[in-house]
Amino acid sequence: MDSRQIESLLEKYWNCDTSLEEEKQLKAFFAAENVPPSLKETAELFSYFQNQRQRPLADGSFDANILKKLKQVSPEGKVIKMFSNVAKIAAGVVVLAAATYMVRQEVRKSYPAEVADTYSDPKLALEETKKALMLISKGFGKAQKEASKIELFNEAEKRIQGKQDVKKVISNI
Amino acid sequence: MNLAAFQTRILSAKSKLFRFAFRLLDNEEEARDVVQEVFIKVWNGRERMNEVENWEAWCMRMTKNLSLDRIRSRQRRAVDSIDDHFDVSTATLSPHESTELNESMQRITLFINSLPEKQRQVIHLRDVEGYSYNEICEILELDMNQVKVNLFRARSSVREKLIKINAYGL
Repeated sequence: MDSRQIESLLEKYWNCDTSLEEEKQLKAFFAAENVPPSLKETAELFSYFQNQRQRPLADGSFDANILKKLKQVSPEGKVIKMFSNVAKIAAGVVVLAAATYMVRQEVRKSYPAEVADTYSDPKLALEETKKALMLISKGFGKAQKEASKIELFNEAEKRIQGKQDVKKVISNI
Repeated sequence: MNLAAFQTRILSAKSKLFRFAFRLLDNEEEARDVVQEVFIKVWNGRERMNEVENWEAWCMRMTKNLSLDRIRSRQRRAVDSIDDHFDVSTATLSPHESTELNESMQRITLFINSLPEKQRQVIHLRDVEGYSYNEICEILELDMNQVKVNLFRARSSVREKLIKINAYGL
């Protein structure tokens, strides 16, 4: 590479217009022995870069230590998705269906069962109804009889109370 | 990814990561610790490695972030401590640099160390490690314009100082 080419490349380099490939050419040029004295300071800079690039992590036991540490490090727990999106939707549907079923059951319980016909023959039905009503009326009669006894008690209580009132009046006098 | 694949694919980048961490931290031991931390993080997240397009740039970015975290905590400590009045960003040479490098190399190291942090990172990634502009954008989380501006300023600053030294011995 002639000096004119180098100068033009260097101009581009200082303006940050060089590609990585062009910078490699410059590095190769300055790594060679016969660098003109006019480019001494640039050669020093490139030599510095070269020097830095060759500096390794100078620790023989570094690899062994790091590998030992990595073996000790417990592997990070992998996050497993317990439910996929499809399973989530399916679970939602099941919950909704169960809720609907239970609500319907509750609503049904709160309404009485429909009255169903028990007799097909109206005459028989009438007879049975009469029987049932007679049974009820019998019950009522019996209850009335018993209730009249309570009335007797009430009357007796009133009388006793009346007598006590008279006594009080007399004693007051 | 098994341990053998990790060794060949990831561990082989250790020197690049170390150089970058060292460039930022200016401390070999801390740089080594950062690289170790990066590898452990990569290993723990190896299940996600397939999603990473450029794993080397990804490791470099992690190196940068962990190194900057350390710098920040170092600065906090320096502020907290009454005895630590010195400016932690002052450009200095590590013992290794002062013994291993010749005079001109030491000078350039000082010039580069005295650059602002972003410029120092960009010039290292481009001129030492040879990353493309896109990779540098990914590593440093900067846009292309910022990367180019920082690189231009870094190169210009070092060039100016070199010219002055060689012309006037300053």
